Amino acid sequence: MKAKFIAVIIAAIFSVALTGTALGQDINAYMGTSPDNNAKIAKFIKDKTGITVNQTFQSFGEIEARVKAEAPNFNADMIIGCGSSTGFLAKKNGWSIPYASAAWKGVPDVFVDPQGNWYNIANFSFVLVGNKDRLAKAGHKMPESWKDLLDPKWKGEIIQPSPLSSGTANMMRFSFLALYGDVEGWNFIEALDKNIAYYTRSGNAPTDLVGRGEFMLGLTSDENVKKRLDDGYPLLWSIPKEGTGYDGTFALILKGTKKLEACKKIIDLLGGQEFSNLMAEIGYVTPRPAPNKLYGKTLPRYIKLDLGKAAEDKDKNNDLWKRKLRTDFK
Amino acid sequence: MATAELSLKLQSGSGSKVRDFLNANLINILAAILFLLLAFFLLYPILAVLIKSVWGPDGFTAKYYYSFFSKKYYFQSLSNTLLLGMINTVVCLVVGFCLAYMTTRGPWILRKPLKIISLVPLIAPPYLFALSLIILFGRNGLVTRMFDLQWQLYGFTGVVISQTLAFIPLAFMMIESTLMSLNPNLEESAYDMGASEATILRTITIPLLAPGLLKAALLIFVMTIAEFGNAAILAGRTPFLAPDTYTMITGESDFNMGSVLSVVLIAPCILIFFVHNVLLEGKKFTTIGGKPVASEPRKITPLIKVPFMIVTIVAAGAIFICFAVVVASSFYKILGVTNKFIFSNYLDFTSNQAIYNSIRVSFVAAVIGAIIGVLLSYVIVRGKFFGRTFIEMVSLSGFALPGTVLGIGYLLAFSAPPLKLTGGIMILALNCVFRFLAVGVEAGISKLHQIHIEIEEASADLGASFLTTFFRIVLPIMFPAFIAGFIYTFMTAIVSLSAVVFLVSPGFQLAAVKIFDSAVYGEIGIASATTVKLILIVMLCMAILNFISKKTKVGSSMSRKGVA
Repeated sequence: MKAKFIAVIIAAIFSVALTGTALGQDINAYMGTSPDNNAKIAKFIKDKTGITVNQTFQSFGEIEARVKAEAPNFNADMIIGCGSSTGFLAKKNGWSIPYASAAWKGVPDVFVDPQGNWYNIANFSFVLVGNKDRLAKAGHKMPESWKDLLDPKWKGEIIQPSPLSSGTANMMRFSFLALYGDVEGWNFIEALDKNIAYYTRSGNAPTDLVGRGEFMLGLTSDENVKKRLDDGYPLLWSIPKEGTGYDGTFALILKGTKKLEACKKIIDLLGGQEFSNLMAEIGYVTPRPAPNKLYGKTLPRYIKLDLGKAAEDKDKNNDLWKRKLRTDFK
Repeated sequence: MATAELSLKLQSGSGSKVRDFLNANLINILAAILFLLLAFFLLYPILAVLIKSVWGPDGFTAKYYYSFFSKKYYFQSLSNTLLLGMINTVVCLVVGFCLAYMTTRGPWILRKPLKIISLVPLIAPPYLFALSLIILFGRNGLVTRMFDLQWQLYGFTGVVISQTLAFIPLAFMMIESTLMSLNPNLEESAYDMGASEATILRTITIPLLAPGLLKAALLIFVMTIAEFGNAAILAGRTPFLAPDTYTMITGESDFNMGSVLSVVLIAPCILIFFVHNVLLEGKKFTTIGGKPVASEPRKITPLIKVPFMIVTIVAAGAIFICFAVVVASSFYKILGVTNKFIFSNYLDFTSNQAIYNSIRVSFVAAVIGAIIGVLLSYVIVRGKFFGRTFIEMVSLSGFALPGTVLGIGYLLAFSAPPLKLTGGIMILALNCVFRFLAVGVEAGISKLHQIHIEIEEASADLGASFLTTFFRIVLPIMFPAFIAGFIYTFMTAIVSLSAVVFLVSPGFQLAAVKIFDSAVYGEIGIASATTVKLILIVMLCMAILNFISKKTKVGSSMSRKGVA
């Protein structure tokens, strides 16, 4: 008797667990900004539209890999936050649903695809971070030029993300290649590699590791430096005199979604001044002008880039990177 | 045999033909269904990985394997992985044995605390130790700074230490349960007759434990080389196969090369699986399902006691400290940087959602897994059909399958229509079911070996149909095996990262993945708080389960009746 009773209970829990509960409207999105910023963006969307955004944290590189692998049967309705290369790829292959949003009127052309395949919700760059305490103890100053990083005194003390998984690292690579040219660029990357302790998976991780003092210097994405400073990490940050690169944070609607209207509503929302304010508050450079929390009034000096070419070269450069930098990877 | 006689008896009576047919063939029908399930959810994904490793865009090619074996980088990766697996297995076995020996043969006062310390981390994701190690022994860690030490945590050593700490609990659990099911009488009589502790250990305990130790070794080896969390956080520039596979798939979306790396990862596991099977041939006297018997503490000679105690204290101490660091860092803003006490880490909404999902997935997986496990072991032991050994081998092969392989396999096999399962709870649950099936099946097999078939025959003789016999006799007897399968699947499914990390989708974030991401990203507070919450909730679940099975006495009383 009791056994039956238990069986019934287990069956009941089982069926509840299997079906779960879905209340209200929700969409699934791949979001590639930091877990923290993902949560902020999701909350903003929820507050303004009532739509719940289900998301997992992945880096830009991982989102691109995932979209490539899943095409054309995506497990998400849209992407909020991927690199420009993913955006261009989606447009080229017809993975995105074009939507001309009226809410994005007045935003500079570089932030919007003419057909509305993608929208750039915020630009980010990479910066140099240093650990205040460790630098002081060693008697070193923050480098003023990227070339200063090649000094042997930094051996094993610099950390940066891996371009195989991180969009930020990919941006670093195409920026250095654009700054120094193909030949000199690769020479620089190879020389820098001698000083790099190792390559992290996420483009944000160096900020934390340098903040903890595990390493003295780090090349990292700028969007979370502000938060980490506020959290109390003993961090210094700077942009060397040659300037920095940039990449977009793209949003797009994925083919096959059954929730097109909700996706459109979100795209509209992202084009508004309020959203730009939110992103600028975090430290991004936004489609609509807003006071930037990290840089203040003067934006950094940018290296001249061709994002389209960078996207096309990505696979080739990944291969080169592995061949040049990995031990005995010939 | 049961079914054959059963059908004879029934045919001589007067029953409808359909019922006779069902009674006679039900076990075969069941076997066929189970085989289809195994083929579909276990063999097909593995096959998909194998095919992908030799099937490029232009058809069949060996170039991916060529590229693997011609590059020194991969060779380095492979040898690091194997070395890690071997060191880990040996250390975990030794430490696990010492711990288990102390909790089953040592002084009463030590048994409980040691057991708790050794078992709690089972519910924590293995890579948590990497976090603790960074906070304590990193280049700027608390201990490193305090003593101004110069060492390199990021590399092979760091991975070995964290991985070893992470898998000691598993080794302990498996060795302890075999030690418990060893009848202490043998050892005690030897002791009474004057044998020294060392002699008893050498000639009685360890030989009797051999099958259990071997099984533990196999499981630990496979788990160590496949779980990549610690390596991803601590390896620095040292390549290991599992994290390489992970980057290959999630970063570069190179499924061909990723498949090659997984296949290479399977090879040593399969090899060890066969060695283990050959060694165990005809030696199955103790298994996980055995009845625990507590043995009285004896006077252990200092010669044994001192080294055992040292190992035990060092290991338990290390686990305890790492754990304390996790609990502490869950309450601090950034432990070691800004030591401000906060509680907000615990209020993180996404981690609650992830824990909820994890428990749902693990529960569904545990129920399905335990049922399939019991049924499989029944058809394996009692069935008489062609391919029985094959089914047994396939269902036990889960022991030897690195998680990454089934993760990638599921991604390859079930991501396109008409078989599109990705993006939901079912793919995660099924993946866990078939990865962790082996334990339930094995527990079931050993339970069934303990009961004589005469009981079932008697039931059949008295006129019960196959189904009645199955439900009234077989199931109650096998309830402990059901529970064993349930608990193992539930606990492993909740912390394992290596397969599900490929399968989570937005809306189905799992706690293990969430903790890993937070850790990698540097949100150590949130990672720690999520872990603590997860552990508390899982302990609550286990307590409820324990309460129900004790309260109703379904398991024990029924099986006693069965054996009597």
